[in-house]
Amino acid sequence: MTEIANPAPTPPPTSPPTWSRFKYPDSLYKYGTLLVVLVFLTYSLNFMNVSIPKMLGALGGLVGVIADRYYPPDLAYIADKGYLSSVVDTLQMSFLGGVAGVFLSIPLAWFSAYNVSPNRHILLPIGRMGVISCRAIHETIWTILFVSVLGFGMLAGVSALTMFCVGFAGKLFSDEIEAIDMGPVEAMRSAGANPFQVFIFAVVPQVRVAFTGIAIYTWDVAFRAATVVGFFGGGGMGWYLKRNVQQLENLRVGAIVLSIIAMVLIAEFISGWLRSAVNKAK
Amino acid sequence: MTIAQSYSVALTRQVDMRRSRQIKLVLGWGVFLLFAAWCANGTIIEDTDWSRIGGRSGVLASVGRYISLDIGLLPELIIPTIETFMMACVGTVLGCFFSLPVAWLGAANVTPSKRILYPLGRFLMVLSRSVHEIVWALIFVSAVGLGALPGILAIAMRSVGFISKITAEAIENIDAKPVEAIRAVGGNDFQVMYYGILPQIYPVVLATVIFEWDINIRRSAVMGLVGAGGLGLLFFRQMNSFNYGGVTMVILAILMLIILGEVISHYLRKAVI
Repeated sequence: MTEIANPAPTPPPTSPPTWSRFKYPDSLYKYGTLLVVLVFLTYSLNFMNVSIPKMLGALGGLVGVIADRYYPPDLAYIADKGYLSSVVDTLQMSFLGGVAGVFLSIPLAWFSAYNVSPNRHILLPIGRMGVISCRAIHETIWTILFVSVLGFGMLAGVSALTMFCVGFAGKLFSDEIEAIDMGPVEAMRSAGANPFQVFIFAVVPQVRVAFTGIAIYTWDVAFRAATVVGFFGGGGMGWYLKRNVQQLENLRVGAIVLSIIAMVLIAEFISGWLRSAVNKAK
Repeated sequence: MTIAQSYSVALTRQVDMRRSRQIKLVLGWGVFLLFAAWCANGTIIEDTDWSRIGGRSGVLASVGRYISLDIGLLPELIIPTIETFMMACVGTVLGCFFSLPVAWLGAANVTPSKRILYPLGRFLMVLSRSVHEIVWALIFVSAVGLGALPGILAIAMRSVGFISKITAEAIENIDAKPVEAIRAVGGNDFQVMYYGILPQIYPVVLATVIFEWDINIRRSAVMGLVGAGGLGLLFFRQMNSFNYGGVTMVILAILMLIILGEVISHYLRKAVI
């Protein structure tokens, strides 16, 4: 038998090869950024007088507090006629605010979309500023401002929700317009159409379905916001929430929060169903 | 059937289809308008006391109160503005930590149990999004007392839904090959997560977190309305003392902060993607 020559074993490397996910300059940047973020977070916690053990303790105690104070929820209270009519009020406010907001936001979105804006020097900044300032201010602040001008009641709530919807839908609409196919727009322009004709005949047919979906989604989000505008005097369910929070009727508060969750889930379900129906009808 | 007959049949079918579509469209718009009219009737006509608003001059007078700025408030604005900004940052980071386990439970391909824990993860996502941040803040103020802490917790809870939903979707859409490769060379579960899944979802998740942070600045500016620190508290105090010029100053500070946040998030997102 011939002996099979064993190949000489490869000598073990002097140092085992190391591998890390981030190579040298990259790793420096990544971990440096992480360090800066951590230092900033620690500094902020210190600045706001929040200690981490207290924070974790609060979270641990949360379940106890909720079980202790809010359970069992007073379900008889939310079956009351006054409360149910406030639910209807909330629905009306969110729908009207959503409709008004969507209709107002369409021209603003048209102005603020860079590719089809009728005038890039004047109308584009106006549209962008309008949408951004509606978005920047939270719906509750809008509510307080409108309540101080228009008085308590649903009109203030509807106005606040309208502003909120202009900001929300306007941004999504103008993003959608900026993503269209420019072919039809250029064709219309070269045939001598004015900007309005371009918008109606070249832009709207392309974004109609997306706009419908966004409008439905806007209503969904507006409904979520409408549940609390009443807290600041805008009418609807929020008013009951405020009253019971101030009277420390915790069991009723628990029931109201439960009903809000249920209503929002139903609204989300309806909006999801409508959006898929719209997408199918396309 | 002659050719002419079959043409006419096809034509009538076309006409019928178009007509039924038109009828549907008209009906849809009719229902929509009726519903809108009902809502308008309930909110604007029945529920509003127009005489109390005081006509155009009354509204203009109420708006006019806000125009005179209260410059003297400027030094008092600085610390609440910083606090609002910090509340948003800490809240977002905390929200990320909370959304990790929720995303893990709610992603169909990595969830430990599809029957029990997957629906639980999905439910937590919906719960977090369906409760408004003001309501979260109310709950936390009653649980941990006044100050910045309930605001941070409320923002964190509110951000969990969005971040974990996008993260779970990103995990569901990953390419399975790197995961299999790491399993094949003997990686444990943690290594699969860290080297197989994380690099794939990391840009999406980071962009989402930056987006959420931008929104959280807006949210943290109103936390003070229910007792949780920041600019909202100052707003509330100015409003209650009828110092309308001060209210405008606070709103301007919020606007400045949000524009700053928008600029930062724009550049951060560019750097990430």
